[in-house]
Amino acid sequence: MSDVAPPITFARASRWYGPIIALNDVTIAIPPGVTGLLGPNGAGKSTFLKLAAGQLRPSQGEVRLLGSPAWGTPALFHRVGLCPEADAFWERLSGLQFLTTLLRFTGYDEEECRSLAEKALHQVDLLDAKDRKLGGYSKGMRQRVKLAQAIAHEPDVLLLDEPVAGMDPVNRRRVIDLVRRLGREGKTILVSSHILHEVEAMTRQVMLIHNGRILAEGDIREIRDLLDEHPHTVSLRARDPRKLAEAIVGWPTVLSLSFGSEGEWLTVQTARPDDFYGALPEVALQAGVTEMYSPDDDLESVFHYLVAR
Amino acid sequence: MPIYDQGYRPYEARAPLHQIRFWPITREALRMILSKRAFLGLLAVSLLPFIVRAIQVYIVARFPDAGRVLPVDGRLFGDFLNQQIGFTILLSIFGASGLIANDLRTGAILVYLSRPLTRRDYVLGKLCVPMALNLAVTLVPALALYGVALALAPDQFFQWELAWIGPAIVVHAFVISLFVSLLSLAVSALSRSARVAGLGFFGLVFGLEMIRLVVQHGFNRSEAMLISFQADLKSLGVALFGLADTELAMHWAAPAAVLLLVSLACLAILRSRVRAVEIVT
Repeated sequence: MSDVAPPITFARASRWYGPIIALNDVTIAIPPGVTGLLGPNGAGKSTFLKLAAGQLRPSQGEVRLLGSPAWGTPALFHRVGLCPEADAFWERLSGLQFLTTLLRFTGYDEEECRSLAEKALHQVDLLDAKDRKLGGYSKGMRQRVKLAQAIAHEPDVLLLDEPVAGMDPVNRRRVIDLVRRLGREGKTILVSSHILHEVEAMTRQVMLIHNGRILAEGDIREIRDLLDEHPHTVSLRARDPRKLAEAIVGWPTVLSLSFGSEGEWLTVQTARPDDFYGALPEVALQAGVTEMYSPDDDLESVFHYLVAR
Repeated sequence: MPIYDQGYRPYEARAPLHQIRFWPITREALRMILSKRAFLGLLAVSLLPFIVRAIQVYIVARFPDAGRVLPVDGRLFGDFLNQQIGFTILLSIFGASGLIANDLRTGAILVYLSRPLTRRDYVLGKLCVPMALNLAVTLVPALALYGVALALAPDQFFQWELAWIGPAIVVHAFVISLFVSLLSLAVSALSRSARVAGLGFFGLVFGLEMIRLVVQHGFNRSEAMLISFQADLKSLGVALFGLADTELAMHWAAPAAVLLLVSLACLAILRSRVRAVEIVT
């Protein structure tokens, strides 16, 4: 082992926007492997990620990335991949053009750019759609091409902001597997999410963030135990939501079902999310599920519980 | 079970970083803009005055008496460059309005700035786009015209007293292109919509010109020319090339100071608006 210093460190780092404190006196070291950053919307996850990515200067304290200050060291970004939350990029570019354009900034020649771009597109299962314009990509495809641009230059540190939001179950599974594999290869991956089960599928190491403070860090199982009291909500968008409802209504994991007002969405409450997610892909394929998300109400309630303790 | 190295290496780039790091930004943006036929049409129309002036040089070279009506000297180049200011504005409206506005709208700016790029590289990369377009309709045709004049009327243009025309062309073309590019980019950075930015830039430039015309002619105030960027740029041409223009009769230092101040304001706008993260307080 050449060096054991953690790749990402926050030392009493704070960030405020005017009178609003987005991150409050955070001291933490993030080791190699996959780490989940969990918190409800507005908890400070994005600020944390942007500070780690060197895109925001800490108002106080220090954030170090691979041993150097994260802010003001752009040469460092050669080894960092950022997958931001927004996904409406250059609509007129094809997936391949999008990646090769971004790869040029890292100094590779044309041939290397193309080869790395194709490799990344293959990893996210978009090679067949490489020549299609980004404007024609579905929500899930945009998510995946965004992930591809983050991994294309083979960075050592990956910062992923809600990487599987809006993906269908099959691609969600693929991306989760990819993140886990990259983590096993020794890359440092920080994944932010407001969905516990999403993060749990990728890693056991989590940090809980709420109101700009790190509430807890450690093994996810301890947090899971707290969640068991709370039903988990999943919203699914499908071509045929009634067929989907018919297929899952009898599952012992399903507590209740309701249809959305637009007719394409089905909202499910489950007491055992792991079992539910495990059984879902096959049925989802048949019913043509195109999008899936989980509102953060469940996590919010856990946070309230944690804060109240 | 594989055991992976859990540490990290000191910074070591896998590939040499670009010497000109902003170049991919410029290249991609130019490629996108020049793929539009309408824009190529506008670019072609912008070069028509060059053809007209080249014909003028040819006629004077063939029939020297025509030089009394159509003089071929520094004034030809000054008039030509001042005429091209309108085209640089049009090209910037259609070519530069969305350069930063679109990135702000889509969040692409965060993707750019998460690469080995500084904010300065980003702005330079974007600035080079309208600069390249504007120089293509100012510096390039003006120098070509100078070449045509040298070739067709060597007796006249190889004289030492006209040697200043070459450097004057370079200076004026650069001032026009840089100012118009900076202004269009700053307006683009103030909006999240290319259309709004384009309309804003159009309104700013032509609106101020309208106000100048009304104030200057209606109230007979020559200082009114300072509020119009077009008039300020033209008055520099008047001073550089010795043109006779009673409307723009003001010492060049005053419009130059206005252009400098506005350019500094544009840089301040770009500095505050070009951020990976939009901070709303």
